[in-house]
Amino acid sequence: MTVRALQQISTGRNGVGAFILQCKKMDFHYCDWAGSSKGMNGFIKSVLPKFAAAHPQIEFTVSPRPSKHPVIVAQYINGREKAICVRNMEPYEILKKAELLRDASGEKLKRTTKPVTSINESVRGIWSPYHGNGLRV
Amino acid sequence: MKRLRLDRWTGQLLVARPGPCSAATPRAALRSAAMCRCTTVRNQSTAAVPQIPQEDDYYDGTDHTRFSPLEKLPPRATSLPSPPPERALQSAKLAALHARLSLPEKVPLQTLARALVDASADENPQFNNTNLAFVGHTLINYHVGEWLMCRYPRLPMEVLYAAIKGYAGPTALHHVARSWGVEHAAAPGGEVDPGLLQFSMHKPGEAITVFGYKRAEYEGLKKHHWRHGISSRVVFDNDFGEIVHTEEEEEQMRARADTEYGNEYTRTLAEAAYATCARAVVGAIYAHTGREAAKAFIKAHILSRTLDLSRLFSFKKPTRELSLLCAREDFEPPVARLLSETGRMSRTPVFVVGIFSGKDKLGEAAAASLEHARAKAAMNALKSWYLYSPGEHVRVPSDMLAEDARPWEPAYIDIGEIIGR
Repeated sequence: MTVRALQQISTGRNGVGAFILQCKKMDFHYCDWAGSSKGMNGFIKSVLPKFAAAHPQIEFTVSPRPSKHPVIVAQYINGREKAICVRNMEPYEILKKAELLRDASGEKLKRTTKPVTSINESVRGIWSPYHGNGLRV
Repeated sequence: MKRLRLDRWTGQLLVARPGPCSAATPRAALRSAAMCRCTTVRNQSTAAVPQIPQEDDYYDGTDHTRFSPLEKLPPRATSLPSPPPERALQSAKLAALHARLSLPEKVPLQTLARALVDASADENPQFNNTNLAFVGHTLINYHVGEWLMCRYPRLPMEVLYAAIKGYAGPTALHHVARSWGVEHAAAPGGEVDPGLLQFSMHKPGEAITVFGYKRAEYEGLKKHHWRHGISSRVVFDNDFGEIVHTEEEEEQMRARADTEYGNEYTRTLAEAAYATCARAVVGAIYAHTGREAAKAFIKAHILSRTLDLSRLFSFKKPTRELSLLCAREDFEPPVARLLSETGRMSRTPVFVVGIFSGKDKLGEAAAASLEHARAKAAMNALKSWYLYSPGEHVRVPSDMLAEDARPWEPAYIDIGEIIGR
């Protein structure tokens, strides 16, 4: 009769049911010759195998990029990518950068001014000036 | 709700026959699968040995002395419609997807690769995801349906259909598959990475993955907008209460697909392919690890999404419906009372109207005119009736299938929606 349905699509909340790591691919670029890649080469030899084994949900590629600075490029599920130049860094500094890229959501960095951002409706409801006893002035 | 067709669930999945499947259509294949079940030996992987006649090695014209091939493709891979199953083990994308979804070890990579091949890419039902998607579709719709029915027992049927579509419809599942990081290949083929979703924009496959019947009066419904009641929708139409499309309509859309780039039709195709993939993953989990794992997966990935059901309602005559409701439930007839107001003569007046049945306040709303405030208050009262819920952690019938389930307490069942006169 009078009730009609409007169509809405459910919205996903990552981590409420299942958590999907947002970083889906990481490319490690190095140069065999240049000094700025020294740390990166050490990282690829010693640290990367362990890092890659600990993160099976990320696809890793290692490729040479001759006469350029070493770069880590991460691709995210939302279609964006982030790149960090790791020239002249030590292997463990590079690991820090790789972890930073792994934990990123892929979104552009935003300033958050509110302590909580939520799509759930407020538990207390919206304040109304027409209810309650009011304030005597 | 439609009943589950248990006999169709896994029969066709568990028999992947390398040999005599000469079915012309997937539907025929589904039917014939049960008949010749015991004729041949079952393959371990769900995909079977390719039946391609021997021919000379394919040469694509690349100078391999200058450009070494990145991956050694098996011979004749490029002539196949979809990547051969043995390549699944070498795909980094596929392994990453498997890990990202935290799929059980029992679900092999070959099956996951098969779940990524749409019927439009490979017509052979032994290699595409039609059968898996059929199982997945049934499971997803069953679990979403039972959960909504137990959790919101008073939802009107039309809103229930919209809610099921909001959770398990093609658009929602498309979003789910995208959120898994599934990417698609530009065009399907044997040389494509098996970790990419493969579907074709040009020749939509004949994938029977939905229930529903073609209505005899379809022409009249389309042309003259004949009235079709909710009961006939339950019987004839698909799981979302939508009329099943006919071939001719698809033909028209197909003709448009090649002339325009990225039109409505191609978007629908892509969306359908992603949705089918998401269903096929659920089907694969069910086929390899069973009911409980599939249910947990559906709960984690589909039911955990948010949908504000109060936004699905659209009322035409809320006040009349509310008075009918009160008459049916033996409440006192509803009366609208002005609770407070401000600025009646100003440019921005506000009236707060409450709807009372005897001494009970059924609903309340504030609006800029008395009429609007009364209608809004009636809508709020109706919504609070329709959206009654026994609780957040309500039990559903499928909970009883677990081994150590507590005895079933009957779920709350409403007598039905308010019928107008």
